[in-house]
Amino acid sequence: MLGKLKTGEKGRIMNISSADKFVRRRLLDLGIAEGSEVCVKCILPFGGPVMVESCGQCIGIRRKEALRIEVERV
Amino acid sequence: MNIALIGNPNTGKTSLFNNLTGSYEYVGNWSGVTVEKKVGLFKNGKNQLIDLPGVYTLNPLSKDEGVVTNFFLNEPFEKLLNILDASQLRRNLHLTMQLLEYGAPVIIGLNMLDVAKNRGIQIDIHKLSESLGVTVAPVVARTGKGCNELAELVTGGAIGTGKNNLVYYGKAIEAGILELENKLAGKVQHPVRWLALQLFEGNPYVKSYLASILPMAELETLIKSVTVSQQQSAGSKQALDQAIHRKRSEVIDKIVSAATTKQDNKKVPHTEKVDMVVTNKFLGIPIFLFLMYIMFMLTFDWLGFPLSDALDSFLSGPLTSGITAALTAAGASSFIKDLVLDGIVAGVGGVLVFVPQIFILFFFISLLEDSGYMARVALVMDRLMESVGLNGKAFIPMMIGFGCNVPGIMAARTIETPKERLMTILLTPLMSCSARLPVYALFVGAFFVEHKAAIVLSLYVLGVVIALILAKVFSETLLKGETSVFVIELPPYRLPQGRALWRSTWDKGKGFIRKAGTFIFAGSVLIWLLAYAGPEGMNVSMDDSYLALLGGIFAPLFAPIGFGTWQASASLFTGFLAKESIISTMNIIYFVPDEASLQGLLAAHYTPLAAYSFMVFILLYIPCLATTATIYKETGSTRWTAFSIAYALIIAYLLSLAIYQGGMLFGLS
Repeated sequence: MLGKLKTGEKGRIMNISSADKFVRRRLLDLGIAEGSEVCVKCILPFGGPVMVESCGQCIGIRRKEALRIEVERV
Repeated sequence: MNIALIGNPNTGKTSLFNNLTGSYEYVGNWSGVTVEKKVGLFKNGKNQLIDLPGVYTLNPLSKDEGVVTNFFLNEPFEKLLNILDASQLRRNLHLTMQLLEYGAPVIIGLNMLDVAKNRGIQIDIHKLSESLGVTVAPVVARTGKGCNELAELVTGGAIGTGKNNLVYYGKAIEAGILELENKLAGKVQHPVRWLALQLFEGNPYVKSYLASILPMAELETLIKSVTVSQQQSAGSKQALDQAIHRKRSEVIDKIVSAATTKQDNKKVPHTEKVDMVVTNKFLGIPIFLFLMYIMFMLTFDWLGFPLSDALDSFLSGPLTSGITAALTAAGASSFIKDLVLDGIVAGVGGVLVFVPQIFILFFFISLLEDSGYMARVALVMDRLMESVGLNGKAFIPMMIGFGCNVPGIMAARTIETPKERLMTILLTPLMSCSARLPVYALFVGAFFVEHKAAIVLSLYVLGVVIALILAKVFSETLLKGETSVFVIELPPYRLPQGRALWRSTWDKGKGFIRKAGTFIFAGSVLIWLLAYAGPEGMNVSMDDSYLALLGGIFAPLFAPIGFGTWQASASLFTGFLAKESIISTMNIIYFVPDEASLQGLLAAHYTPLAAYSFMVFILLYIPCLATTATIYKETGSTRWTAFSIAYALIIAYLLSLAIYQGGMLFGLS
């Protein structure tokens, strides 16, 4: 799960279908889909959002959404 | 000729707009919505450039994005200028594909080639242009390099419409497109292929547009049959929009890999270095608060007050004596003299002295926006906002609300979920806008000289705290249900350009000056007349005037919260028009030539505790007229508009009551 990665760890997205439909659409708009490589840049405290980098762009997403996105560590 | 500028968010659209247009203006609103329509005139003086909100795709998720689809459906335009971020070519081309499907003449401005190069990406512009079938021109939007050439290209003769059949969507979808084409035969002006694809992608605006031509049931049946046959041929359960997205991606991948070469480049970009600090686990929030502190100190203490003082002494000194001399020379009657000097100069001048402070504040807000830090603020604040039922993006409208509530409320359009949007609209008026600043400045100058910035900051913080508490209350009572979501793009940091910064500061600040010239001018004349005349005739003593009479009716209501004078209640009335008129009203009522003497006089009418209670009341009591109108336009509901006024009044009264009575109990009067 993307939400389980630690700062600096990289993964490849395997399955995004259990994420919220808004989140999924937006990630797709940003070019992040199954097969994209992501890297966790920073995790905000108190269960705050995570900052994820993919193809040179950064996005912020809530941890509970990140926990619904399956990734494979690379 | 109308040319529309379109592109993804954060691709340099605004910079390009500024560089292509010499003069520009905000023209009314987009049809049916309240985002200001920004239209600029090309330097050749003939063609217009229309700035559309940044979108990733034409299929809208938020209301802001809907503006673009609406534009394509309803507004006349001849050409499109599509700006692309070269470093995010793959993502940006999704929008381009949809534009090509629309079939209008289009030119592409390719921006951020330098960023791409830094990442080791080389783009063959010629090949890209060839595979899309449209002209691609390199530009550096920030510095304006290549903009003249681009302007000539786009305003010049005929330009191509590109290849509108780049993507083959597979048998099922293509058959669906044909079917819709047959049904619509000759009934629409827009290209059917584009309409069909947008319909299949789930674009609600296109759907309702088509529903005005064909029966809704027929559309639903078509979508359903296409979905089923698509799923059969693909052998998977994927939704139609996903299938369309995938097909486009395949074509885009081919185009991109043909036109770009990539080398590995392991340099850590500056943005990441900065982000390690500003979005740091422990430092993120302290850094944000520190920046806010610097911003307020500069606005009020270090820079703003000296400038305002200088302006004040000019207005009350040379300007007033100049006007007096001119009026005397012209042989004006004493009525006219009084009207001009005690009414207009005192009223409008009292507001104008705060122009420097307001521009400094707007400058900093623009700086935060243009540098890319604002999106980080949303990220850092999301956890806190989530706990009260909002999301981090709601923090941006609130920050902008510090400048002026009207654009703040409009900025709520970028929030995707309706509930969070409504809450943000209702709560943004609690952010202390720059119009309230003059009132605070006046009172802290009179009562809290030692702690000016701290007292003002306390009011700003109070507004935020009340907004957060109310958000929690609203989200658990009135607006239950509906989940909150948060996805935000964090653009790379950019060093803001001086010219762009000045333009966006001026855009925000000019409204204040305009208000001084209209609303406050008219209000000052009216207030002066009400104070000049009374039931017993003209030139009566102030205490026998109509104004005193009116104010006196409501004064008892305000006695428990510390300011039961007719002067206070009269100024609160005018405050509804625009909060800064409170100052002009007081200038007229207390009949003083400048700010310093007004402050001296106030000491006789207020205690420090009453002054603080008064400031808190002004902070909360009612959104100004312009804000109320905006709330109405944005919510489209009289009920919510009335609610936003009513809850504010109640909260303001209760809090001022608690502060004043509580303070009295502690012996603070």
